[in-house]
Amino acid sequence: MEPRGEVFVLGLILSVIVLIISVMISVWARRLTRNLGDYYVAGRSIGAINNGLAMVSLALSLTTFIGLTALIIEGLYIAVAVYASFTAAFIGLMVLAAPYLRRHKSFTTMAFISERYDSKTLRYISVIVMMIVSVLYLAGNLKGIGIVFFFLLGVPEVVGIVVGGLVVTLYVTLGGMYGVTYNQTFQTIVLLFCLMFPVAIVMRTLGASGWAFPPLGYGDMVPQMTEAVPHYFWAMVAHPVVYIAVFLGSFFGIIGLPHFVMRYFTVRDAKEARWSTVICVFLVGLVNTTVYATGFAAVYYMQAQGVDISSAAYDYVVLILVEALAGDSWLALAVAGSVAAGLSTVSGLLMIMGAGLIHDLYGTIRPDVDDEKKLKLSYGAMFFVGIAVIIFSLEPPEFILEAIMWSFGIAAAGLGVPIVLGIWWKRTNKYGVGAGMVVGTLIAFVSWIMIGYMGMDPVDIPFPFFANYFYGPLGWIKVIAVAVPVSFILTIVVSWLTPPPSEELQRQVDEMHGWNDVDPKRYNSKVLPVVIIILSIFIMYFMTYEPEGTDFPRLEGQEHTLRDRD
Amino acid sequence: MGNDNIKGYKLEIWVTAICFTIVAITGGFFSSVVVIMNETFFNQVPTPEELVNNYGETMFAFKEHLAVWGFPLHYFLLIVLSWIGATLIGAIWCLVMDRLEEKQRA
Repeated sequence: MEPRGEVFVLGLILSVIVLIISVMISVWARRLTRNLGDYYVAGRSIGAINNGLAMVSLALSLTTFIGLTALIIEGLYIAVAVYASFTAAFIGLMVLAAPYLRRHKSFTTMAFISERYDSKTLRYISVIVMMIVSVLYLAGNLKGIGIVFFFLLGVPEVVGIVVGGLVVTLYVTLGGMYGVTYNQTFQTIVLLFCLMFPVAIVMRTLGASGWAFPPLGYGDMVPQMTEAVPHYFWAMVAHPVVYIAVFLGSFFGIIGLPHFVMRYFTVRDAKEARWSTVICVFLVGLVNTTVYATGFAAVYYMQAQGVDISSAAYDYVVLILVEALAGDSWLALAVAGSVAAGLSTVSGLLMIMGAGLIHDLYGTIRPDVDDEKKLKLSYGAMFFVGIAVIIFSLEPPEFILEAIMWSFGIAAAGLGVPIVLGIWWKRTNKYGVGAGMVVGTLIAFVSWIMIGYMGMDPVDIPFPFFANYFYGPLGWIKVIAVAVPVSFILTIVVSWLTPPPSEELQRQVDEMHGWNDVDPKRYNSKVLPVVIIILSIFIMYFMTYEPEGTDFPRLEGQEHTLRDRD
Repeated sequence: MGNDNIKGYKLEIWVTAICFTIVAITGGFFSSVVVIMNETFFNQVPTPEELVNNYGETMFAFKEHLAVWGFPLHYFLLIVLSWIGATLIGAIWCLVMDRLEEKQRA
């Protein structure tokens, strides 16, 4: 598909309005920022509804709006499974981490790890891991903004990356966490409105009887779909351990991704942290199921109605569908929604990167610097990070969704594991966390360099024993099914073999769970670590398993990773 | 640790463990179960050669009598459990933790 060939005036106007309102919100929010706590965690004053809505926009990046629909066209079940896991992962984040992190009163994930384990070294390591996962996540999203601009104006993607990146950098630098939060809330409302209505119109045009509620409104179109595309709902394209790797990546990755966790440091208390997650998961599920409907509509439109859309245009398919089946007015809404989706995620990531560099890195190296100077430095750091990311994103390493799935895997092994064990097992110490973090991160990150960056075939990477099993569609995802279990096992075993943390550090665990007293037996059972080790070994062993009657694709011609779409 | 504290601690551990297990199954492991129990949901399981040569044939179709609101059962369960199911599990966990927090404060 080619760009429209002419400037889409209505879409451009709505997109510019979204951009202007975003900057205006930040200018207004700047007045609320009086100190470092206001700048990084909005004075810990955000309520459940506001935080829940802000989290939705963080979760619903352009990968949802654009990347997921494209992935559904490639192979439905695995795409839906990835996002189903991502949706449910918010509840995992809540029950394992959210309210406990809020009670800990840190500013960032890196500060939590450093203070819980009393280690500056771990703070430096976690800042490095944070930078890796954030840059991977950001590059994908900025590329998405470029895609929307390409469609909108026919200008090169690079223009969208630079313009979108500059706008976000401006409003994050100006408004700090207050600006980011209110912007994300605004962008969620825009996104919900701009997705639900155009998709409903598309479904109505295609003849779905339940078009008014797209998430579950296309059941009557399924027979025609299976007649045209019999394998549409086929689940057998990947080994079952791929789905388990997706589960590990999404459930522990979301705990490890610092821009999600940082939202919990902004809320008033643990109760608000909990309920904001419930609001978030409901709305994220609503949007994701609507996108599944969009993917269905795209395949139906192409296969059942015989319309040809080239694979190179799959990233634009949402916009193509809306333009063809709903008209320009609805398309303008969809474009504005896409821009809002891209901006919100990028802003959250810039915020955590700036906080990591100034609060966690500079603040640790120069503890004598006062908060006022840190605040001034934060404005500069945020601007610098924004510009650096724009430059990096001009050459994004790979397909938008693949970069983000890798960042989930690295975050799960490097940051998710130490956070979860730090909350639920008192015996976890800095030696164990250091070993687990470093090895887990290296497994995932080095694999990304070889597979995601250098383009090596997953089965050819020099990874002892396991590389043989990284075969088949999405075989590289199985790296996560090694990195996360290894991180868990090392953290637990090394913690056991080294001296326990001090009573003061163990007291933090009781406090995080809301207890006023301290009891050494609480959260100190051997059952949890033993169960985790058994499950970790089982998951890695499961990689070698093949159910009877099936032989997962190793054959030539079956290797279709996401990268093939580029 | 007093009796009330022990009860509260056990309640927190068990409710959290159960909720996490359920949401892990609905959001993650269920996808694997569909693959492993493929014969339950699909008409025929192709051999690897058939997989390559006949991609797009009827052997990949789901069993129609297992449809819910027109959707294949495995697909319907996946999208509903990971959305409405996860939201409900989260809400239940929140209610229990709200009550526990009140007791801790008391």
